[in-house]
Amino acid sequence: MTLTTLFRKGAFAMPEENDSPWLLHPHKRGLQNLDRMRRYGKQDAVDLVVVGAGAGGVTLAQRLARAGWRIVILETGPFWDPDRDWVSDEKGSGHLYWTDTRVIGGNDPIEMGKNNSGVGVGGSMTHFAGYTPRFHPSDFEVRTRDGVGADWPISYWDLKDSFERLERELPVAGQDWPWGDPHTYPHSAHPIAGAASVAWEGALKQGIEMRVGPVSITNGKFGNRPHCIYRGFCLQGCKVNAKASPLITHLPDAIAHGVEVRADSMAVRVEVDDATSRCTGVTYVRDGREEHQRADAVAVCGYAIETPRLLLNSTSPRFPNGLANTNDHVGRYVMVQGATQVAARFPYELRMYKAPPPEVSSEQFYETDEARGFVRGFSIQTISPLPIGWAEHVTAEGHWGQSLREYMRDYNHWSVLGVLCELLPQAENRVTVAGETDANGTPVATFSHSLCENDKANIEYATKVLEEIWDGAGAQETLKIDRYAHLVGGCRMGFSADDSVVDSSHRAWEVPNLLVCDGSVFPTQGAANPALAIMALADRLAGLLRRKRL
Amino acid sequence: MIGRYPDYDVLQEASHWDEATRRVVLDRVENVPPFRFFDERERETVKAFCDTVTAQDREPRIPVAVYVDEKLHDGSFDGYRFFDMPNDREVWRLVVQGLDDEARALGAESFAAAGVPTRLDVCHRFSQAKLHGGVWSRLNVSRAWSLVVRNMCEAFYAHPWAWNEIGFGGPAYPRGYSRFGSPHIDTAEREEWEGEQAFSIDPVRDTKERGLE
Repeated sequence: MTLTTLFRKGAFAMPEENDSPWLLHPHKRGLQNLDRMRRYGKQDAVDLVVVGAGAGGVTLAQRLARAGWRIVILETGPFWDPDRDWVSDEKGSGHLYWTDTRVIGGNDPIEMGKNNSGVGVGGSMTHFAGYTPRFHPSDFEVRTRDGVGADWPISYWDLKDSFERLERELPVAGQDWPWGDPHTYPHSAHPIAGAASVAWEGALKQGIEMRVGPVSITNGKFGNRPHCIYRGFCLQGCKVNAKASPLITHLPDAIAHGVEVRADSMAVRVEVDDATSRCTGVTYVRDGREEHQRADAVAVCGYAIETPRLLLNSTSPRFPNGLANTNDHVGRYVMVQGATQVAARFPYELRMYKAPPPEVSSEQFYETDEARGFVRGFSIQTISPLPIGWAEHVTAEGHWGQSLREYMRDYNHWSVLGVLCELLPQAENRVTVAGETDANGTPVATFSHSLCENDKANIEYATKVLEEIWDGAGAQETLKIDRYAHLVGGCRMGFSADDSVVDSSHRAWEVPNLLVCDGSVFPTQGAANPALAIMALADRLAGLLRRKRL
Repeated sequence: MIGRYPDYDVLQEASHWDEATRRVVLDRVENVPPFRFFDERERETVKAFCDTVTAQDREPRIPVAVYVDEKLHDGSFDGYRFFDMPNDREVWRLVVQGLDDEARALGAESFAAAGVPTRLDVCHRFSQAKLHGGVWSRLNVSRAWSLVVRNMCEAFYAHPWAWNEIGFGGPAYPRGYSRFGSPHIDTAEREEWEGEQAFSIDPVRDTKERGLE
């Protein structure tokens, strides 16, 4: 019997090597004692510069700081104080999203911004819904099993301990999980609202099982983090500190162990010594001025668009096409998930704005089933948009004027389910840099994306399943919106320099002291939300690095 | 506002909101910004266009056009630009010009001066991407429609008056909710301050039963 199966709700092992929840102030949401944060000199070569204070970068920094590494994290956006900077309002939360221009193209362009890109300390997890499912064992061997995509150079079993550690640290709440590698969660499942219970009943009628969770939202007091208050604004930044983001789950402990966070500092170039092919530090822009931090190693953790963009913009005579990009792999195989949503109307009120949008989900369709006519699968989750998000549903069906107002007036009678379809990695779905530049004069990213036939078949099938669930629930009418969610890939890990940018220990094949530690290293994306896997990879990498320097 | 929640005013809850949120939401009602992006002639067209798309034909109106103007003036865009489209400011300028051109082609002096049927006709064709030539050839018309409608809806449904109309609970921090579950019951549980619908007849069922569809 493994340790996991011995855990019982309410008596789980508290994280041993992360004091973050206890370092938070019991009554204020912002981090305390920031005036005492350690500061490093720019000429002082620190052990590691981390670019990006999100799921990958902060988790990695927290782990390595505990092992004695001297670390500076550079973050483009501000250092949030949730009490002061975040509001319980949809439109008022636009500053949480990465809204600098990106050019989008291809046959199926991906809209960027609020749906998939974050800025500021804590990264996009500050406004992610909160779903933190594990990847399935099959996700790591898609090429072997299904003959498509790529295998990972590591397996689920290399990450299992990391998944468990992170689930305790976030902490994750949910029912016992029957899919993938079956497991339990440290916090018990949250109560669910009406909008989720109709979905549950509809699914059951069609023989589809759902489970409550898994969400990284406290269901009980956790250190100085309070219980969720079910106000429904997870996507606008949790002012309660109940929903996890690295800002509160790992950064307090990182700072207590000597990590310096330099916010409002946008990395523009990783500097390299062409003679040795080793990087020497990072140049960044703060208050319109270029500054430089020397370092023995650099970890780029800027996610699937900004990580490739930074490497592509870091050119030198040795790397004229971008750092670590001699083989033209940087920026390729960027993936999103097909995230079509179907809304359903019921004769009674549901008031879906209450309780967290992520409530119940199903992974019954996660694995390949040849009878469906395509490989790989999808998961199903509740969504529950607030009014502006709901308007996007209504207008997507072509409504405007009086009919827009009428559907909007009906808001409280609707419930929304979404899918996450695993879309396959394709070399031409890629980030490049454009002729257009941002305010710092740095070329912006262009992201080109097109679906393949397997992707289209997956999305079509998954949409049909959502319609069936709502049919089972007795819906009077449905509305559909085709959309995409999440971003991974772009600097994938692999088996050799011929097929990837980094090796299984996140090290660039061509630059031995350059690490990439974020969602961009994923060779495939599964049908799970990526946050937990990104943190788990960072945890594993820290374990590999803890006792050595690069 | 014609809503189903006649006795509901979300602003009555404002004293229960945290200060940062209260400031942002009340400003939308109390401190409406001036126009700064669109020039005087453009403003009239944008106002008429916003009125038509959000179906506002009498006061009090939610000042959608001003908030679109503010977004464009501040440059707080959504984070992407389609490869076949100009930037959002340019799109709006072209759309305004195109709406006036279409209205003139139908005999009106401008979109703002046009009668309701003309405005509806132009908007209908815009929504179907059936506008061609002139400035429209410089846009992907379907993507332009999505952009302007998204910007308008963001302004409209951020406003507390719209929340009253649709029965949305509005900001809920630090108060939160304790009544949100409704498995196996006919209607969602409500906090006592949340609005109650004015009638119990379900309009979808009702129109079907009375053969009004």
